[in-house]
Amino acid sequence: MSGRSLLITGGSGYFGTVLAEQARQQGDRVRIFDRNEPAERNGFEWAPGDVRDRDALRGACEGVDVVLHNVAQVPLARDRALFRSVNVVGTANLLVAARDAKVAKVVHTSSSAVFGIPESNPVREDSPCRPLEDYGRAKLEAELCCQDAVRGGLDVTIVRPRTILGHGRLGIMAVLFDFVADGAPVYVLNDGANRYQMVHADDLADACLRASAREGPAVYNVGAGEFGTIRETLQALVDHAGTGSVVRSLPLGPARTAMQGLARLGLAPFAPYHWLLYGESLWFDITRARDELGWEPRQSNVSMMIESYEWFLAHRAELDGTTGSHHQSPARLGLLRVLKQLH
Amino acid sequence: MQGDPTGSGADASPAPVAVVTGAAGWLGQNLVRTLARAREQVRCLVQDRDDAPLLENVAPSVQALVGDIRDPATLDRLFDGVRAPTVFHAAGVIHPARQVRELFDVNVGGTQLVLDRARRAGAVRFLHVSSNSPFGANATESERFTEDSPYNPYLGYGKSKLEAEQLVQLSFDRGDLATVILRPPWFYGPYQPARQTRFFAAVRRGRFPLPGTGTNRRSLVYTGNLVDGLLRAEVAAAAPGRAYWIADAEPHQLQEVLDTVRRALEAEGLRVTHRQPRLPAAAGVVAAEVDRALQSRGRYVQAVHVLGELKDTIACDISRARAELDYQPEVALLEGMRASVRWCLRQGAAL
Repeated sequence: MSGRSLLITGGSGYFGTVLAEQARQQGDRVRIFDRNEPAERNGFEWAPGDVRDRDALRGACEGVDVVLHNVAQVPLARDRALFRSVNVVGTANLLVAARDAKVAKVVHTSSSAVFGIPESNPVREDSPCRPLEDYGRAKLEAELCCQDAVRGGLDVTIVRPRTILGHGRLGIMAVLFDFVADGAPVYVLNDGANRYQMVHADDLADACLRASAREGPAVYNVGAGEFGTIRETLQALVDHAGTGSVVRSLPLGPARTAMQGLARLGLAPFAPYHWLLYGESLWFDITRARDELGWEPRQSNVSMMIESYEWFLAHRAELDGTTGSHHQSPARLGLLRVLKQLH
Repeated sequence: MQGDPTGSGADASPAPVAVVTGAAGWLGQNLVRTLARAREQVRCLVQDRDDAPLLENVAPSVQALVGDIRDPATLDRLFDGVRAPTVFHAAGVIHPARQVRELFDVNVGGTQLVLDRARRAGAVRFLHVSSNSPFGANATESERFTEDSPYNPYLGYGKSKLEAEQLVQLSFDRGDLATVILRPPWFYGPYQPARQTRFFAAVRRGRFPLPGTGTNRRSLVYTGNLVDGLLRAEVAAAAPGRAYWIADAEPHQLQEVLDTVRRALEAEGLRVTHRQPRLPAAAGVVAAEVDRALQSRGRYVQAVHVLGELKDTIACDISRARAELDYQPEVALLEGMRASVRWCLRQGAAL
């Protein structure tokens, strides 16, 4: 599959960077569509632009074989109008531009947020989508745009990742790592027995590239092959860290209310998706991706957690004052500093 | 092709080019999705910039122009380079944001602009989406409107839709255009606006009030049936210069409509509160009077307007459409309501 001309939207963001590098290594020519210049040029072409700008997209799609669409306003933005204009209308803009430029394949990165809290696990590709908050609803609407485009004759595959981790991926995880590094207790909701699956950025990029080389529209749920409960995952992390940090339980109801309250007041970096899902089980059946794409996740929940933590430790000093997407820069602790002191 | 009862000629073929106003609306979304795959070109007028890519994404045949129907320059652009289209004029304001004036500017003024551009573009047929509102309410619960019923417009919306019908008819009488007036009553179906989703949610939670006994009858039309009606009117030989009621097969008692919504929600797996709050019949009468007083001062309040109309029988007879258009409403109330609920759920709407 080498030698293709790829357009990666959101290619300067956290996951887009990982994806662009993997594509380059397998021999694809990469053009990056992003508002921000890629940190490393590595032979990438940069098409500066915003997905809300139809003309910019039209230009960027010219001469492209495959588009990997990763632009999104992430849950931390907590801005309904932005979720719509970027995640929904932006996706429609991209799909129209790709179709008009005769792009052969589009891979759309969606989110497990389209499922809300599932009635049962594992969640399969055809499980009902019942998003619970504005971010998940917008990501679902974007998927419906993809379905419209497929009916209109465009080859679009949807990839739905679980929570993405990897070196350099921080966002809300910065809060957790900060606590662990300083030996403060970390918290699970109730007993933390909910099974929470993540996916490593490298594994996700591999799935997206494999999906981009497979003809015909499809949907794939993508997550780690090995994962346990949220308590098991965090316990493995604090054991690895050896800072004296322990895993503690918080009652789900009051904790949710507190997260919601702090977020509303702008005192903690939480979005509805966090307080709704942190205490719930959500894991994918990844059989279809394995069977149809020949894809096999290499990283487990625990291995990717430890890798991210180590990256955080190595870069902690430089992290203050970073810019970029919500997922690259560490979320600010805010009032959680107080919680951190409660040893 | 069947349906030529008047013997005035054979049915026409659908035009390869369609112009659709109100393309992002409730009917428009359904209509464009049907036309998109069958026509060479579907020119759409949308008001909101964001709706253009969402519609164009449906098929390469769709071109969406962003603009206001009250703006002559916008309509020049809508018809620019278009020859011999079928025009589906589905734009209209039902619930103005605040002021009654908007009803006349859009529903009457806009219609005149579209008629004019359609004539100049040599439109082969002009399909005008009207309403039950120029006819007000039936005198009794058993009466049905026919195409021969007298005009009796209900408040601002009814007057504006009546004036628009008269403009369309004038255009036909002058020999300008082969016009057809379609009169759909209360809509339901996919691509519903937020107000209909709120209506479902209120019914589901036992919070939708029923004024009076609920034995008054209402005609409804499933959006898919209405699209069928429009496509029949586009080709039927007898249609030009005529008006037709386009609705589901039979009217239903209002209490039966609410009950069917509950059954549809339940059939799609949702838990439903089987409690029907009732209001004295007088509440509807009072609301209608308040609505009248407000509108006489140019003001419009949607909740008051809707409550004022709920007590009425608004029922029509579709015999003429059956006979002259060969129109057959395929989808019945429960099936159509279930499709609407499924659409809401697919959108992730909180019902």
